[in-house]
Amino acid sequence: MVERVAERMTATPPDPAARPAFWARRRSRELGLIWLFLLPSLVIFLLYRIIPLVWNVVLSLEFWSPYKPARFAGLYQYQNMLFYDDAFWKVVANTLIFMASAPVGIALALGVALLVNQQIRGRGVYRTIVFMSYPVMTVAVGIIWQWLYNEKVGLINYVLISFGIIPKGIPFLESFQWALPAVILASLWQVIGFYMIILLTGLQSIPPNLYEAASIDGASAGQSFWRITVPLLKPSLFLCFVVGIINSFNAFDLIFVMTGGGPGHATDLLVTYIYSTAFKLGHFDYAAAMTVANFVLFVGLAFVANRLAGGEAGAVRRSA
Amino acid sequence: MARGRRHWPVHFALALISALMLVPFYWVLKTSLTGENIFSYPPSLLPHEANPFYFVDVWYAIPFLRYLVNSVVVSIMVVVANVFLNAMAGYALTRDFPGKAATIMLFLSCMMIPFQVTIIPAYLITAKLHLLNSYFGMALPLMSTIICIFIFKAAFEAIPHSLVEAARIDGVPDWQIMFRLIMPLTKPAIATNVILSFIWSWNSFLWPLVVVRDVNMQTLPLGLSRFLSVVEDTTGALYAFCVMVLVPGLLIFLLAQKEFIKGLTSGATKG
Repeated sequence: MVERVAERMTATPPDPAARPAFWARRRSRELGLIWLFLLPSLVIFLLYRIIPLVWNVVLSLEFWSPYKPARFAGLYQYQNMLFYDDAFWKVVANTLIFMASAPVGIALALGVALLVNQQIRGRGVYRTIVFMSYPVMTVAVGIIWQWLYNEKVGLINYVLISFGIIPKGIPFLESFQWALPAVILASLWQVIGFYMIILLTGLQSIPPNLYEAASIDGASAGQSFWRITVPLLKPSLFLCFVVGIINSFNAFDLIFVMTGGGPGHATDLLVTYIYSTAFKLGHFDYAAAMTVANFVLFVGLAFVANRLAGGEAGAVRRSA
Repeated sequence: MARGRRHWPVHFALALISALMLVPFYWVLKTSLTGENIFSYPPSLLPHEANPFYFVDVWYAIPFLRYLVNSVVVSIMVVVANVFLNAMAGYALTRDFPGKAATIMLFLSCMMIPFQVTIIPAYLITAKLHLLNSYFGMALPLMSTIICIFIFKAAFEAIPHSLVEAARIDGVPDWQIMFRLIMPLTKPAIATNVILSFIWSWNSFLWPLVVVRDVNMQTLPLGLSRFLSVVEDTTGALYAFCVMVLVPGLLIFLLAQKEFIKGLTSGATKG
């Protein structure tokens, strides 16, 4: 195939103007094929991204359940959500706290990335180990951490007690105070390797001669970190923030397994609350209203993050 | 040698971090292997009398094979569909056609819609298509991925234009150009796509949880979370199950590490 094509590469192309009808037919056949190639993906995105987005809005303006015909509700669901549902605000706060943990994870990951970016033996192994927790199944991660947090026989309590930090075991996942931080820690453990890889790629794209020039000019290590590394890492850092936001949407698996959103709503995020409202209680209409709020929150935060990063997201998207 | 000596603090820090990252893996493996009483205190740090009995328990306690087959079938459907559909869409986007800019904008804005916020209507749509409790229903939303479409587009654009032009002048139909000329030249993009879509589908939890009620159609993550609520006092077996579920994903990752990381970072940093 390739050989035959290569042979003909030197041949002169026929003049399109010479056989207009043939080329017009060919062109329309080509167009048909292009759309045929795009069609399956378009259908999937239409079915599972675009239509749901619109349908959520429609649902949120109705009274509806699988057993009753829909009735127009106006803004009733939103009113209920914003003014009468205390759990909703608790859940929004949790979601925001969860997102706010991202910078902590990113800072830690940056430290690790700087370490594994050094010219040392075995850095590939270190990178693999740190990254290994990212691609594994989150449900299993949740179960493992639940065990580590166990009040009586968990490793974490055991270590804390043996070092004399606490007198007796803390029921991490059953306590209102500790459950959310505990879940966040498990989630950071899983995502930190991913932040590290992104930041490492960013670090490696910084030209080394900048550092040489800085050191010749007598810059300290701290100065070259804040003046060279951080500004040039901005796109990677921004990307990590976006991943952090998305991660708080994906935390469903972890929370579902570790605490189921409890105790009370102590670890419920918007996603888990929406799931239980819709699929456990059957309040699809109300859950749809919260989904709309969730999406607005997501877009809003992405927009703010983009602004803070000086519009770097635009650059990322343009190059796509 | 002088350089080497300066590195030991870095090694020390990294060894410590690695140990922290590995502890959960070690703990689950240890728990799944020890024959001792799991609720004994203090927990022993080293496994005593390691044995594989819990793994045998899991095999008989739950339809592990059934879950495995379900997971494999769904993942194969997702991976095959992803490679073909994304390559096709990616190829179409390398060509000029009216509406191209709008299509790209549409894809990019779809990327901004997290799957989690589509979950209720997606469930209703799947129900209307009569795909609840089916392999196809589980696989369908994952069958095409925007990031991978753009990975293919970039890979196709890197192929010398003259090659494609020559084939076209030669009168080779587009679908043949695509599948017999271009696809074999973009093996890295294909590998990336296979690995990413496999891991996404293999680990996917929320979507199967929503569309599958039938016990026989459950995938491994569902089986695992269900095991947690159904069987309470067989902790050892639960952790054996965890290990059995973690191993395939970890193995694939370790074997294809380079492609996996390349896929994530190219999708992430370069679009």
